[in-house]
Order: sequence, then structure tokens, then C-alpha cells
Amino acid sequence: MELRLEPELELFRQEIRAFLREVLPPEIQERQRRKVANNAAVPDQLEWMRILCAHGRSVPHWPEAFGGCGWSPMQLFIFNEELYAADAPEFDWGGTHMLGPVLYTFGSKYLQDRFLPMIREGATVWAQGFSEPGSGSDLASLRTSAELVGEKYVVNGQKIWTSGAAHAEWGFFLVRTDKTVKPQRGISFLIIKLDSPGVTVRQIPQINGEAHLCEVFLDNVEVPADQLIGEPGMGWTYAKFLLEHERTTSSFIYWSKRELARAKDIAMREQLGGRRLADDPAIRARFARLEADLIALEWSVLRVLGHESSETPEAAAASVLKIRGSELQQEVTMLQVDLLGAKSLRYFEVAPALPPAPTLDWPDYVPGRTAVALISRAATIYGGTKQVQKNILAKLAFGL
Amino acid sequence: MDFSRSDIQTMLLDSAERLLAEDSGAEYWREQRHNTLGFDTERWARFAELGWLALPLPEAAGGLAGSIEDVALLNVALGRALAPEPYVSSVVLAADILGRAAPDGPAQQALEAMAIGAERFALAHQETGIDPLAGEAPGTLARRTGDGFVLDGAKLLCLDAPSAHQLIVSARIEGEDGLALFLVPVSAEGLSLAPYPLIDGTRAADVTFRAVALGHDALLAGSNGGAAVLAAAIDRAQIALMAQAVGAMEAANTVCGAYAKERKQFGVAIGSFQAIQHMLADMFVAANQARSMLYHALANADAPAETRQAAISAARIVIGEASQLVSRSGIQLHGGYGLTDEYAISHYFRRLMCIEKQFGDLNAHTARFGATIFA
Repeated sequence: MELRLEPELELFRQEIRAFLREVLPPEIQERQRRKVANNAAVPDQLEWMRILCAHGRSVPHWPEAFGGCGWSPMQLFIFNEELYAADAPEFDWGGTHMLGPVLYTFGSKYLQDRFLPMIREGATVWAQGFSEPGSGSDLASLRTSAELVGEKYVVNGQKIWTSGAAHAEWGFFLVRTDKTVKPQRGISFLIIKLDSPGVTVRQIPQINGEAHLCEVFLDNVEVPADQLIGEPGMGWTYAKFLLEHERTTSSFIYWSKRELARAKDIAMREQLGGRRLADDPAIRARFARLEADLIALEWSVLRVLGHESSETPEAAAASVLKIRGSELQQEVTMLQVDLLGAKSLRYFEVAPALPPAPTLDWPDYVPGRTAVALISRAATIYGGTKQVQKNILAKLAFGL
Repeated sequence: MDFSRSDIQTMLLDSAERLLAEDSGAEYWREQRHNTLGFDTERWARFAELGWLALPLPEAAGGLAGSIEDVALLNVALGRALAPEPYVSSVVLAADILGRAAPDGPAQQALEAMAIGAERFALAHQETGIDPLAGEAPGTLARRTGDGFVLDGAKLLCLDAPSAHQLIVSARIEGEDGLALFLVPVSAEGLSLAPYPLIDGTRAADVTFRAVALGHDALLAGSNGGAAVLAAAIDRAQIALMAQAVGAMEAANTVCGAYAKERKQFGVAIGSFQAIQHMLADMFVAANQARSMLYHALANADAPAETRQAAISAARIVIGEASQLVSRSGIQLHGGYGLTDEYAISHYFRRLMCIEKQFGDLNAHTARFGATIFA
């Protein structure tokens, strides 16, 4: 057992920091830091992917043959941590972390050659079409159908909560290709171009003023049959693979650490009664709890990355990361809001442009905090609700 | 970073599994409760035979020079088995202090006696109104004499003192600032000990010193270094106790999972109810986070004092909260049986509560860690 970080990794961290200082455009960084919305502006996100790609670092976690960096799990951890700490735009996770691994593991050479470079180079963002109005936690009941007619699938149905679909050129969808078998067996994984005839995308106005989530209506959409990944009927298996492939992603550990740093900044700058909020014992106690909880989460991530042997299956550890990761996202953003007190109530327009210039009364750390805290209520809902995760834990850890 | 076990760690855990499984936790505990010391000295001798009592001790004293990780893994096993033996007081806390004292004095002999199981040690530090973590000068006073020192004062809640042969006593030396540490045989004239059990069956004592005469070599650490030596040793003891808490929580979860399958109400196992399943899931998450925090404490065990203390307090927060959640939910899940002495969960509850309040409770560690955040 060796729990101290290898010294070479500290050098690696320094190298990544220097790299980011050199290549991350300050105006993108500034927009990221001050954005009111939760999601990065798509042009910034794609521009950043192109920059990373030019340095061979846009998909570091992929196998080297497909453009990965060949880094160890700990190196990837540090790379991600530094990306977030530097306020770099987030990856388009749907492409880089979900579709990408499914494609290079199960996709045909044709699909790999066609789509992997697009993802790697940041040609587009990707929409993920899994959930349906009647199929949320019970995803396997999904009804959007794809019927093979000649060389094409004809797709009919409706998807919902399709993140970013309004800006995406392409999406990957779970569709039902066989209604005669057990629900999980009849699902396939299909890539659909979103400007195809019959596709209608409608943005859903959200609690925080954003409209990132979308509904996607598919009405007799014709999709070339070779855009089905792997084999028909294997979609459920691939979807499970992609969720398990990135076991530690749902912890949002890098994100929450950055947001904790932001909360600290607020506590040191915001004053009440001539005293910094940071000097209030009750507030300090809250920070102590939250920071300790985040350290625990980080070590739980490291244990999964280090493949610690355990009596319970690794998937149980992944559910722990999802539960704690989502809870702490909510706690850290609500702490920010609480620190701002009534100032948190002002609505700031969600727009690609920067929020109003800061004043003494309305410092730069105010806009955006509430918008993010509000949409963070979604963290315990998407990707398997907290309750579904607990069902999984009861089964995997206790055999119930 | 490597989470796999070394050969010595695998050996330790194998031997722990064998020995501790012979007398299952709660049963052994119930038996030993009526024993004056609260544990079986023959089993302590087995601890010595297995090398457990020599584990972290220096080789010069017959020790195995094991790492803090080795100690922690063994303590996870001890916690799992609800072992009431005074392992942490002697082999972790006292050993750490003795190991830092002059190697040619009585400390060396003390370590040698500890390694073979001949003597046990306990810390006498706590006094009413004094923060045990602060390292401030205690009320107990040592006056210098021609032959050494004379000690006067009173200590309370000296854990494991009733079974100890020698005490490590914190005192202020007259005319000096700071905290000094003395090695005092329990048999010393003028020392009296009022023992009592704690709710978990372990033993503690209030100790008074009336003109206890000590030689020069009884001084283990002087006024200028004593506080730091004590703080370092207490931190090591906390790591071992946190490891026991992790073991106890993991075992409690196993006990609760089994009970949920076996207990039937409304014609079905209560584990088939989602309300119970989600309670267990929360307990699993808590124990998982607790183990993670043990690793964080271990990773910082030898860091500079400030970093080390921050890490340990952060770990005590998460592990203390997790202990409460696991033990409280554990009783709830057992219904009325959870409150009986018969069912192991009530023993885990009591043990976890005792660990949570030693060397600073949740409030104290929250304040200590909180003070480092905006430093």
C-alpha cells in the first residue's frame, strides 16, 4: 500500500499548468469564469477542442491508436483537474467520453474513420438521445423505433432531455429495432444527423433561464443502415458499457473542487457587519464539512482509478461516486448561493455575452452562481437518479 | 498510488482473521465485560506471539518497524471484531512517544517490554477544562528536586489505564512554559487510580498524583518539545482509532445486510422494502467515504504537523459523521432488537460512539479543520 503521490506526477502537473497557461486563450478563460450559464458557449468549446487537438491532447483518455496520450489514470486525473482549475471550457462529454469509447470499442472501421476524427478535432458537439417522455429511470422501456427498410432505418419517436441538441449537428440515439424480444435485447445504438428531414429539435426553457436541454422529435427519419454501431440489439449493452467506462466521471470531483475554491473566494471577499464571511464560525464549520466531504470523494475516485480490490463489485463504487458527486455538486453551489444571501436572488440574463460589468455592490462573483445552483438540482436526477443508484447499491453491496 | 497489500499486510490480516474469528466480537466482549481488565490477558499474549505488539516498534527494541499503513490495516480488523484490548493506547500512542525519547533510558526498556507483551502503557493527559488537542500546559505540576521530580495533580478519563503497567503523564514543569511528558509506573507511591468501564466495555480511570517522586530519567520529553511529541502521538492514535471505526462500520453493515434478509415482516424479508434498501445504501456510502478518509489521513501521516493535523481533523469529521449514520441507522433497521445487548449492532453503536468522542469530538475537529481553510 502506497498512498502518497509519486513525485513524477507533481512534475507532470507543473507541465500541464505551464501548457494551459500557454495555450488557453485568456478571452475564452474569462468568458468561462464569468459565464452566467452552466454550460460553456459552444463556439468556445469547439475552439478549445481544436486547440487541444493541435497539441494532441483533445482526447487524452482514448487509446493511442485513436489519438490518445497513453497517460496513466493518475495523469488523466491531474490533467482534468488542471483543466477545471484553469477555467477551460469543458469537453463535449457526449462526444469525447461517451460516443468515442463506444465507437472505438464496438464501431466498424467505417464509423471509426468517419466520426472519431470529428470528435477529436471538435468539429461539432454531440447530442445524446437516450431518455424519452415515458422512459426516464426505466430507460429499457424506450419506444422510439427504427425499422430497417432496404439500406435505411426509418426512425419514429420522441426523445427528451437531449442536452445541447439545438447546437449539435449529430446525435447518438438508443432506438428499438426489435419489438419481439425482451426490452433490453431489442435496443440498438444509432448515429443520426440532426438536420435530416423529419428531425425537429425544441429547446426546453429551464429553471435557470438556460435552454440547454431539448426535446427531439423523430418523424419518419431515414438513417443509413451503416450508422448503426456494432450489432443490432446490442445498444443496451453498449449504453451500459459507456456508463461503466467512465466510472469516475459522475463524481464531478474536478468541477466541485473548483466551485469550492470559488466559494472560498466569495467568503473571503463578501463582508457582513465589518467581518469577512470567512471569519464567521458557523460558515467555517460548513466549509470544514464540505471540504472534508470533497476530500473523501476524491479518495473514493482514486480508489476506483487505482482498482483497489474489494469484496463488492466495482460498479458499487461507481454508484457511490455518482451519489456523493451529485450531492456535493448541489451542496457547493448552494453554499455559494447562501454566502451571497439576498444578492443571490437577482436574475441575470443567460447569454453568450459577459454579464454586466462588476460594481462594488455587484461584484463579479455574483452573476452565474444562482443559475448554476438551480440547474445543479439536476445532478441527482440525470445519469441514473440517486434513488436508482441506491437500488443498485442495495443489490450489489447487500445482495438485496 | 497503490492500494494493494504488501506481503506483511496480507500476513497480518490473515492472522487477524484467524485469531479474531475464534471469539466472535460481541460474544467475546460480553464475556470480558466481567473481567476486571475488560479483556483476556491470554489473548493479549497471542497478540504478542503474532507480532502485533511489536508491529510499529523500532527494530532496536525488538520491534518490526512496520508502517502506519500496516498498523491501520490491523486496526481495521480489530475494529471489525470489536476488540476491547488496549492496543491503541500501548502499541500506537505510548510506543510513538517512547520511540522519540532518549534511546538509552527507561523508554527503551519499556518498548522492549511492550513488544513481548510483558507491559502495557496508557496516556494520562486529560484534565477538566483543558482541550486535549491544544497542547496547552496542564494543571498537573512537576517540581524539580535534587533526585528528579515530584509530581502532583489529577487526570481524568485515562483510557486503558486500569490494565496499564506504566503511564505517560503530561505535566507542567514548575517555572517553565509548555508541556512535559513523564513515564510513571502505576505502582509508584502516591499514585492512585479509580477505574471504571466505558459504555463500550473498555476501561478508563481517573488518576491522582500526590507527591509522586520520579527520577531524572522519567522525563520523556521536556517543556520545549513535549507538546509536539504528544500531538504527533495523538495523531497516530487517531489514525488507528479511525481504522477501527472503519472496520466497525463495515462489519456493522454486514450484520445489518444479513438481518435485513433474515427478518420477516408482512410475510417478507424486510430487505425487500425499498425504505430499508435505501437506508443500507446510505450506510454503504458512508462506510465507503470513511475508508477513503482513512487513506487521506494515512497519506498525510508523516507530513509537517500543520498539514498532518488538518488531514486528520478532516478525516475525523467524515468518519465521525459516518459512524453516527451507520450506527444509528443500524439500530433503527434492527427495530427493538437493536437496543438489546444480545444483538451485535448495539455493541457496534457503543464502540463507534466511544471512538468518535476520543481525542476531540466532531465539534472540536470541525473547528480545528475550519481554522485551516482560510489561514
